[in-house]
Amino acid sequence: MEKTILNKLPVPTFRWLGVNGVEHEIKKYETKNVSVSADKDIIRNDVTESSKFTIDAQNGETSEVVQYIKSSGEISLATEINVHNGAKVRLVQVFENETGAVSEVAAKVDENAVFELVQVYLGGEKTVSEIKTELAGRSAAFTADIGYRLTGEDKLDINLIAEHFGKKSTSEITVNGVLEDTAEKTFKGTIDFKTGAKAAKGSEKENVLLLDSRVKNRTVPLILCAEEDMEGSHGASIGKLDENHIFYMKSRGISEEKIYELAARSRLMQVISKIGDDQTKARISEALQWGEEDE
Amino acid sequence: MSMKEKTQVADIDRSLYDFRYEEDEGEFLDSGISTDIIKEISDEKGDPDWMRELRLKSLEIYNKTPMVDWGPSIEGLDLDNIVTYIRQKSRMNTNWEDVPEDIKETFERLGIPQAERESLAGVGAQYDSELVYHNVRKEVAESGVIYTDLESAMHDPKYADLIRTHFMKLVPPTDHKFAALHGAVWSGGSFVYVPKNVHLEIPLQSYFRLNARGAGQFEHTLIILEEGSYLHFIEGCSAPKYYEAALHAGCVELYVGKGATLRYSTIENWSKNMYNLNTKRALVEEGGKIEWVSGSFGSHVSYLYPMSILNGRGASAEFTGITFAGEGQNLDTGAKIVHNAPETSSYMDTKSISKSGGVSTFRSAVVVKENAVGSKSAVNCESLMLDSISRSDTVPVMDIRTDKADIGHEAKIGRISDEAVFYLMSRGLSENEAKAMIVRGFADNVSKELPLEYAVEMNNLIGLEMQGSIG
Repeated sequence: MEKTILNKLPVPTFRWLGVNGVEHEIKKYETKNVSVSADKDIIRNDVTESSKFTIDAQNGETSEVVQYIKSSGEISLATEINVHNGAKVRLVQVFENETGAVSEVAAKVDENAVFELVQVYLGGEKTVSEIKTELAGRSAAFTADIGYRLTGEDKLDINLIAEHFGKKSTSEITVNGVLEDTAEKTFKGTIDFKTGAKAAKGSEKENVLLLDSRVKNRTVPLILCAEEDMEGSHGASIGKLDENHIFYMKSRGISEEKIYELAARSRLMQVISKIGDDQTKARISEALQWGEEDE
Repeated sequence: MSMKEKTQVADIDRSLYDFRYEEDEGEFLDSGISTDIIKEISDEKGDPDWMRELRLKSLEIYNKTPMVDWGPSIEGLDLDNIVTYIRQKSRMNTNWEDVPEDIKETFERLGIPQAERESLAGVGAQYDSELVYHNVRKEVAESGVIYTDLESAMHDPKYADLIRTHFMKLVPPTDHKFAALHGAVWSGGSFVYVPKNVHLEIPLQSYFRLNARGAGQFEHTLIILEEGSYLHFIEGCSAPKYYEAALHAGCVELYVGKGATLRYSTIENWSKNMYNLNTKRALVEEGGKIEWVSGSFGSHVSYLYPMSILNGRGASAEFTGITFAGEGQNLDTGAKIVHNAPETSSYMDTKSISKSGGVSTFRSAVVVKENAVGSKSAVNCESLMLDSISRSDTVPVMDIRTDKADIGHEAKIGRISDEAVFYLMSRGLSENEAKAMIVRGFADNVSKELPLEYAVEMNNLIGLEMQGSIG
């Protein structure tokens, strides 16, 4: 089997941190090709085998494309998206694979077009996920809302790159996650302002709740900038819950265990609330074993 | 309509530093790195056996270690053309009058003797490969503080064991290729020892000057602070500009004892032909504190990330830095912090400015180990882009391995705000004054942490020349 480096950090850094890329054995898959026209409000796809999706949204089209990734073995998924002038695509990816997946999203966003990405990771022995968005046109917009709840020995490596070429293009990346047991996660998020991306704006934020002393969390938020007229920011908050917050909740009669469970759910809910399709929301709740009262 | 003129912030005025004296090249060892050259350096210095072995072992490691595969390009650095050692014309002096005339004049022009008289407890001055002057005030010496050149200390029976047990233990030659090179060819540098509970209220300063063409400087600074002590150490460096590449691969090892505090301030102003590949590291014991204050203005290429290892409960680190990258400069700077004990804390506050095609990269690593329960870390970095031919990158990594930690990170990048300029102009400032004030204010995090004399020097380094209208 051939080994290759996936999820390469656009600007490599200190080798000893081990974040410059993920070594992965590439298996040969039979790949199913799926072509999607974004001419319906909601398009649902169960991804149970290795697949390559091509999504094309023409001027004025608005669509939510859902990919529910669940199979018994490792799966490879490639998704290419073209959001043409004035179109809007929301791609919802839910990863519920036990063994893991290799996923790649490559999007090109034209003038006044909008690409919204919602990703929910519900586990996986080893999931490697790359998202590369080219904000090519003027006022092209990209939002990414990513949530994860990893338990047991789950491992997740995400490499998100937003490249700003277009003037007044915008990117807003929000990541919320919870790590339990011996789970490991690396999130690499890069906002790259190219020369000429005048008045572009990009922001990135990650909140990670750690619920076990054995977890491993790595957060790598990059801003690369070759344009003077732009605004970029990133922020990260990693660790346990605020002690004042816990004290207040306890004073309302809620146990510490329940407080952490509520906090974990609220983080994922922030991401799930971005999904328009109720069926998908219900399916995620079921996978998380949430009752109706929790939704 | 005529084009609006962009604000121009002048490159650093280097005239103060850009003078040189001709060297007698007969005092140069051959350029390049080989076993024969290492043995010759060792013979020159009369190294004890263990040091000679360390040099030769380091050379082996150097030959086996690959070049860095990340960071700015160092292709312009041909190590075969670098002279690693230059014999000095005179021995190290403790009397300023005994220092050779041209060297004395160099340091006088840089203001070192004046600073010693007015604001320092002791001074060390290195010219090319060797220390030429070291002195410490009588009352400081009487308190038991040792401040001398590292080589004298290594040969002194009172300190030899201390040097042997600490030298290149924090930064081993296996750390990276240029640490190995340093281990092989190091020369000069200072040794400081501060006894238990001694507080040195006024700073010590070492100044490193590389005068020779196509040469390298490889000084080693070793500081040991015993329990409950305090020291402020200032490091300055400069060189005249040549067209040939020059190399600085120094090494700084700092041992901060229980409850001790060390402030380590650096104003780095190497010339723009310099490859500054320096390694600095501090080991901080229980309740101890390391404070880094760092201004990076010079060099063609810099790789500089002072590392703090917080090794005892309650140990802490602060890093305050500014980097100004102008034309022809690629300055890759930042810090590394390892939390390796419970209840440790760290704070990083950095600024960077890029202009005239300069490239500035902030690079950091915050690692919180499994045992660092109850630890806290906050990182704040801001970058200012002054034109669109420059570049500014931010590359931080946080590696957290315990749930009982509180880690925060904030970064911003942008340009001079039109609103801020407009506001200041409404208060009566001209546009140029307003922009100059904003850029000076941006650098304030470092200047306010330096003693007054050095803050003034730093402000002099940033020569601001403002023209044009709101752009």
